[in-house]
Amino acid sequence: MNLKKLIFKLSEADGMGGVKDALKVAEQYLSRYATVEIMGEGTLIGVIKGKSNHTIMLDAHIDEVGMMVTSVDERGFVKVSAAGGIDSRILAAMPVHIHSVPPVIGAFCSTPPHLRKDDDDVCKITEMYIDTGLGEKGIDIVSVGDRVTFLQSPKELMCGRITGKSLDDRAGVAALIEVAHQINDNCVPPCNVAILLSDQEELGCRGAKVSAFSVDPDEAIAVDVSFGDMPDIPSNKTGKLDGGAMLGISPVLSQEISDKLARLATEKKIPFQYEVMGGHTSTNADVISVAKCGVPCGLLSIPLRNMHTPVEVISIADVQSVANIITAYIMAFDGEEQA
Amino acid sequence: MIENLKELCNLPGVSGNEHKVREYILNKVSSHVDCSVDAMGNIICFKKGKMPSNQKLMVDAHMDEVGLIITSVTDEGYLKFATVGGIETAVLMTRRVIIGEGEMGVISCKPYHLVEADERKKMPEKDSLFIDIGAKSRDQALEKVKLGDVAVFDSEYMPLGELIKAKAIDDRAGCAILIKLLCEDSEYDFYATFSVQEEVGLRGAKAAAFTVNPDSAIVLESTTAADIAGVSDDRMVCKVGCGVAVSFMDGATLYDKGYYDLAIQVAEKLQIPCQSKAAVTGGNNAGAINSSRGGVRTVSLSVPCRYIHSPSCVASVEDVNSVYLLAKAMIAKICEQTARP
Repeated sequence: MNLKKLIFKLSEADGMGGVKDALKVAEQYLSRYATVEIMGEGTLIGVIKGKSNHTIMLDAHIDEVGMMVTSVDERGFVKVSAAGGIDSRILAAMPVHIHSVPPVIGAFCSTPPHLRKDDDDVCKITEMYIDTGLGEKGIDIVSVGDRVTFLQSPKELMCGRITGKSLDDRAGVAALIEVAHQINDNCVPPCNVAILLSDQEELGCRGAKVSAFSVDPDEAIAVDVSFGDMPDIPSNKTGKLDGGAMLGISPVLSQEISDKLARLATEKKIPFQYEVMGGHTSTNADVISVAKCGVPCGLLSIPLRNMHTPVEVISIADVQSVANIITAYIMAFDGEEQA
Repeated sequence: MIENLKELCNLPGVSGNEHKVREYILNKVSSHVDCSVDAMGNIICFKKGKMPSNQKLMVDAHMDEVGLIITSVTDEGYLKFATVGGIETAVLMTRRVIIGEGEMGVISCKPYHLVEADERKKMPEKDSLFIDIGAKSRDQALEKVKLGDVAVFDSEYMPLGELIKAKAIDDRAGCAILIKLLCEDSEYDFYATFSVQEEVGLRGAKAAAFTVNPDSAIVLESTTAADIAGVSDDRMVCKVGCGVAVSFMDGATLYDKGYYDLAIQVAEKLQIPCQSKAAVTGGNNAGAINSSRGGVRTVSLSVPCRYIHSPSCVASVEDVNSVYLLAKAMIAKICEQTARP
């Protein structure tokens, strides 16, 4: 599979509660390898039947950080509220995609210097405006409740690195599609694989909570992104780009799964690095692990720089590493071991 | 004219590196005018009209745009930069830039989750920003980028509602208008200059005005429009969609009263939408031209532009057309005048 092309397509598409472009791109790919079904507002589940009834659920979230329109004025200026964590310092003059009918492009207003009291003055996102250039027509086209996402196409950087919006967590989605592709090459897997592309992670892991309940897996692995190394951030809080999958170790995760992932990665010489957390992982693993009467859960993360911005940066090699480890984990399933 | 504007905005042309814009303009105008390129890189054109003029008139637009210049590379392979011209930190954070001959980079920003609450209320120091091109080391970065390379915002020209959005509307709008004026017939002879290095201190126009040695000048520009939500009417400077902004005074020039009045009168007479630039802020090549040699009578006609010096400048195509119409009328008016009114 051309992983770069897949990541580009997923990154370019928009996806947040009610905006399903990314979901459609993922569906198109995943349906080649799995029986897919869209659940609820924006969750996709792809099932690959295996030789046993044991089900491993793999999760990556399909949603991205975005905004919701809260007001439109008679000159075509729009106010928004954040849906997910957005640093308002990055917004001035940023282009956005307003998912109205028809969709429109806007740009955040940037206050000219002569109007600012203090150079350091930073507005809250709810105090900022988006210029739609629509003038009085704006009020007829843009509505309160319309979704807003960053307007950004992905681009390649040096060393196989990719920059774009929503690589959190489309990089994870790409890794899972790659897993489905690899399993397909190996014919029937030893157990059922349920690939969950969940919604509303950025709003507190809500999609995975309800979907894990419905899927009711025997075990699960969540795939998300984590902080990539960059200046000004302590190295103990980050993983190195091109250092391989970040293998989560935490009290909320299953140590057996973490150990098995590490063992298989070592055996197969797949690069990985540890990410140790004292409790919550701030990923869907937190909610999947307590679904129903509890689901043993592992976590693999892709190191990513500039999280929640239109210039997130990842390395394709790390996405490949996550996919390779998960495929190895699935193919190594043996009913005896789990019993 | 608007197709030219689109292509011009998409070209890189940071001050001191205007060659791509210069080539584009030379290609468009050289069959219509006599032109030469001076030592600084300014294009100086002579447009032969139907008749000679009593006034030696110079019409100027600047080719350069604000941008970044790479000042050093860290051991980890990140690029440090200085701004070329005035760019605010707020419009730099998380912007994508194209460095040198096409290397893509991003201006990094700490993840939201790791920014402390009090840090969120303050812009970071400009010096703390850096560009990530994906390189893993200094040596690797230096294979693609040299110190002194310049960078522009990666921002495509596109429609924005009834308006347009692009980088470098300041002053490719002036360039597009001036190209059109040179490619069509003129009543009178006049000189045109496409100048370099406006954004770093009106430097190109200083030399160009010395060479042309004009009696009077028209500066075609783009200027700050603050007609955005939340700003009171008296602080908007000028409004997008309300026509040519004519300056009476800015940070660099106290404009010729006669020419200012003339511009307003001509616009009124020809029903060209027009407004006063209602604030003493900014500054442009008029400052250099107006004080050239023994002094030059100067007028500035500007396209109102929101979010100027950012990757998302927003302007109106109708305003660009209005500046063109008024510039054409003013060329004729100034050239037929014999003495100060």
